[in-house]
Amino acid sequence: MVRYASFLGCQIPMRIPSIEIASQKVFEKIGLEAIDLLGYSCCPEPVISRLLDKTAWLAISARNLALAEELGLDLMTLCNGCYETLVETNEILKHESEEMRRVNEILKQYGKQYAGKIEVKHAVEVLYEDIDIQKIKEQVVKLQKIRVALHYGCHMYREPAGEDIMRKPNMMKELTRVTGVEIIDYGLERLCCGYPSMQADEEFSLKQRLLLKLRRIKEAGADAVVVSCPACTIQFEIGQVMLRHYGVQYSIPCINLMELLALSFGVPSKDLHLEFHKSPVLQLAQKMEAM
Amino acid sequence: MVSENEIITYLKQELDKDLIETSKPRERRVFVRIKPTALRKAVNALKKQYPTVRFMTLSTVDHGLDFEFLHHFHVDGKVVTLRSVKHKEDNTLESIVDLIPAANFIEREVADLFGVKLVNHPQPQHLILTTDWPDDKRPLRKPLEGELPPQARPTAEALISMSCVAPVSAFMQKKREEAGLPRAPPFAFTDEKVMQEFQGIIKDTNLSKKVGYDWEKKRLRYK
Repeated sequence: MVRYASFLGCQIPMRIPSIEIASQKVFEKIGLEAIDLLGYSCCPEPVISRLLDKTAWLAISARNLALAEELGLDLMTLCNGCYETLVETNEILKHESEEMRRVNEILKQYGKQYAGKIEVKHAVEVLYEDIDIQKIKEQVVKLQKIRVALHYGCHMYREPAGEDIMRKPNMMKELTRVTGVEIIDYGLERLCCGYPSMQADEEFSLKQRLLLKLRRIKEAGADAVVVSCPACTIQFEIGQVMLRHYGVQYSIPCINLMELLALSFGVPSKDLHLEFHKSPVLQLAQKMEAM
Repeated sequence: MVSENEIITYLKQELDKDLIETSKPRERRVFVRIKPTALRKAVNALKKQYPTVRFMTLSTVDHGLDFEFLHHFHVDGKVVTLRSVKHKEDNTLESIVDLIPAANFIEREVADLFGVKLVNHPQPQHLILTTDWPDDKRPLRKPLEGELPPQARPTAEALISMSCVAPVSAFMQKKREEAGLPRAPPFAFTDEKVMQEFQGIIKDTNLSKKVGYDWEKKRLRYK
């Protein structure tokens, strides 16, 4: 059985726990054991801590990495933002000995130490690389007859310099295709959903980022958007509500890849508690079940 | 002639733990960072050791969350600056006029321009502002704010106080239970000892200071 330390992050468990439930169901079906990371904290979020105090950013992240290292397991995350922070800090700590020394000076006061022995992966990578895609296909009991647009999320494109930035997005596309959905191209897949810019300029974030995507997704005839990032989910869902203040009405369901896989594996929508969503994902799932 | 190093050594000895750090950025220039409560002690120490010491002036910087007071002295051809930093919520400056009469006007000027209350000043009236000048509008005083833009403040506060940047509400914990999940995942905040460890790591860096987090009140010092 494939085993990973599971990093849930903040947004999934405290805002969209249906993704947590769906991932548990999916992992169980495909034989992936996700071990809880006891005492974990925010990854930490990549904007405030990194910009204000790099040592704090590295130390908090190193503590999380050390928790996985204590378990002797690589770390898997379901969140694109956590993925970026943890991958990036892991690289810095592994390759910059002075940063590693400074961070471990702090950690050792609390009986912790990070040796740089683990790897960090997004759940999409784990499913694609560590679990045979054929094995995932075998679990699909119901092919979904809907048309979806994919939003990969900016951090999904992060790769070491010179590497193929489409590596993880292509994995996500393959995994989505397994469910039987029709993936439609809408031309703005690479555009950010606007979540980070909400911190600085709400109108810009909604009108110059999210709205452009929603418009094209709707025009392309998608029934839903499939995402792999909870922050993007929040932006798509809350953003559609907020856009009503600007006189724009959209109600496109924003479903996480894990939820789509779980539904395709035959998990009933009521078991996934899709009511946590702020967009009509539950209605979409019920429609899919009725097809 | 007394050297910069001798001045530093002497003040270290006199102020002991009240002295935070010293620096000597160039020839004839000495900075001595002291606890604000030790200002008078430091001035007395300078007067005792160097009878010809001369008070030059007082500079004040409003850093948003803190006031930095810089008392400059001329000591035997060197400029020695006593640097003390106070939270703006305190909003006071201890007067040294009884020790250094020449500090009278500059302390009143600082009080006028920054709205700082002088403690034990013999004449705490306005010096350069009119007597009817409103207390809440001071020419050089900035709002009580840290470096974070308003939208980023809840995130910073939640990170430090809860180890989680998403809102941790009783409502969501109940909904999680109803959905068959534990009330919260194994976050640091679910275990007091682990939380102490997490917050200890933050205290060992400059993050909480930079964002202006109040550890006693468990929130940012500004909204």
